[in-house]
Amino acid sequence: MAPIVVPLPLPALPEGWEAEKDFKPVGKITQDGATQRTLEPIGPHFLAHARRARHKRTFSEDDR
Amino acid sequence: MSDNGASKPGPTPGDRTVIGITFGNSNSSIAYTVDDKAEVIANEDGDRQIPTILSYVDGDEYYGQQAKNFLVRNPKNTVAYFRDFLGKEFKLIDPTHNHASAHPQETDDTVSFTIKDKEGEEAETSTLTVSEVATRYLRRLVGAASEYLGKKVTSAVITIPTNFNDKQKAALIAAAAAADLEVMQLISEPVAAVLAYDARPEAQIEDKIVVVADLGGTRSDVAVVASRGGMYTILATVHDYEFAGFALDKVLIDHFAKEFIKKHPGAGDPRENPRSLAKLRLEAESTKKALSLGSNASFSVESLINGLDFASTINRLRYETIARTVFEGFNRLVESAIKKAGLDVLDVDEVILSGGTAHTPRIAGNFRYIFPQSTRILAPSTEPTAINPSELQARGAALQASLIQEYEAEDIEQSTHAAVTTVPHITNAIGVISLSESGEEVFVPIVPPETAVPARRTVHVAAPKDGGDVLVKVVEGNTHIKVTKPEPKVKENGDSKAAKVEDADEDEADGDASDFSDDEDEEEEEKREKVWKIGSTLAEAAIRGVKKGGKVEVTINVNADLSVIVTTREVGGKGGVRGTLSA
Ligand SMILES: Nc1ncnc2c1ncn2[C@@H]1O[C@H](COP(=O)(O)OP(=O)(O)OP(=O)(O)O)[C@@H](O)[C@H]1O
Ligand SMILES: [Mg+2]
Repeated sequence: MAPIVVPLPLPALPEGWEAEKDFKPVGKITQDGATQRTLEPIGPHFLAHARRARHKRTFSEDDR
Repeated sequence: MSDNGASKPGPTPGDRTVIGITFGNSNSSIAYTVDDKAEVIANEDGDRQIPTILSYVDGDEYYGQQAKNFLVRNPKNTVAYFRDFLGKEFKLIDPTHNHASAHPQETDDTVSFTIKDKEGEEAETSTLTVSEVATRYLRRLVGAASEYLGKKVTSAVITIPTNFNDKQKAALIAAAAAADLEVMQLISEPVAAVLAYDARPEAQIEDKIVVVADLGGTRSDVAVVASRGGMYTILATVHDYEFAGFALDKVLIDHFAKEFIKKHPGAGDPRENPRSLAKLRLEAESTKKALSLGSNASFSVESLINGLDFASTINRLRYETIARTVFEGFNRLVESAIKKAGLDVLDVDEVILSGGTAHTPRIAGNFRYIFPQSTRILAPSTEPTAINPSELQARGAALQASLIQEYEAEDIEQSTHAAVTTVPHITNAIGVISLSESGEEVFVPIVPPETAVPARRTVHVAAPKDGGDVLVKVVEGNTHIKVTKPEPKVKENGDSKAAKVEDADEDEADGDASDFSDDEDEEEEEKREKVWKIGSTLAEAAIRGVKKGGKVEVTINVNADLSVIVTTREVGGKGGVRGTLSA
């Protein structure tokens, strides 16, 4: 998918903000934040998903 | 496929000639792909919608439109409306639509029809199981496709309703196998329709909620589909056997029968004579189709009853008035499916009208009125580039057939196995915080809710105008519907308009959507909008020294175990920040 372009700007970095390697983990996906559902095994993007799943490949490995 | 009951091995991928088939109770279609484009094939009679009917006359087998025409003169040896009986016990079938053709009966555990399919006055009747009927019919479809393509069709992808159970699937696969046809895959009808649209070269893959309203002859099926990066998850379905094409035929049959009776009192009610009724039915259907295109249509039947001819006309407005209850039924089906999915009409990006009845302009017009202006209503009368609703499913099936043509049967089975298809879908959206024009924090979704994981999305977000050091704050978010009641407006007569405003909750799913007299009132009454609410924070990252007018790229990777990888950098810049959030 082509990246979506968002015109509303990000905020400026607050004065004094610091973190190791400029990344501060804060939380995780909320508990119960996911539902098991079934993908329809149809279309080229599903087939790519199935290929990754079956060969245990990540998106970036797939890109290469 | 796991439920493939076929005993002998199918053709090897290299030897396959594949097509897509949609096999409906009313009509079927066959399609193939050329240069990645799906095309629906016309059979020997020139039909692309081929009635799912077989008829036997003097031992000769007819199918499609020719068989349908025999419903008038040879109903007993004509088998129609049988697809939904496949793989079902007799006591579970609904024989409503078989009154005017061969009647279904119980034989062993299955449904069968007794017809005369051999030559000669004295020939014995045959009892054909519904599987045998399906096999014979599919053989004709495959024959037509093979003839068209100039080589024997070996394999197909066939569309099925989303409520087909394993027995029905197995029965269909077996019936096809008996017709020497390998079923590579059964795919769901609504998603075949979505694929037909998404496969168009101009289509952009985007995250969207799609409602597929498949309005057929004997049933209507609505599906709400989360389309996420070109992958499809059905969130809810509704099936209905009351509001469908036949109900519209009935409206016209009743209308013209009454007109006939008025004109010829004493001639009798043509609806009470089977042959007259069969004639009414055929003509009503063609009048109905003509009304989808023109604003006037004729209705004429030779020798309707007692040798009396009947001819009349009807205009579209009148038709839309007498058929209004049926049309409103379609609105309710769509609304109930959206509700079942836990969504609001404001969540729906696209409505795909599929199935023959979806040609009806009033139906699309009513949907246009239910949904916000931003929702695309994909029907011939609302969207000039819409694909023919009668062709969507066959096209989708053909596209899928060409995608998996090279796969070994085992590969298909493994790829469609629950271990691959059943995966977590995130409940909340994941996005970043931007600032609105007034400086307020707003949620910018990157991965929408109901996205299957693993998933990866990238956005480019503007940096502050003057650039500098920028905060990328990754948060969860979800939506709610905000209802704004208007300021009480004093009308000339002094009545306060707001006094009439109903409770917002009752208002959605307004069953009177086609009640145009309410239009103006409603628009002023309240404003409903979908707004994002910022949820809990997942991570913060800093991108330093962004240049003036620059943009920041944010990529969110949600892994299968719900751990998250955030990668962000200035667009066109080097380096950047990467961090992982454990599950
Ligand atoms: N142009 C048209 N305008 C209005 N109705 C139409 C038009 N073309 C076909 N139909 C109606 O569509 C219905 C058939 O729909 P479709 O071809 O999708 O069949 P199906 O999926 O086999 O139906 P079923 O619901 O019985 O399984 C019939 O009632 C037919 O009269
Ligand atoms: Mg159908």
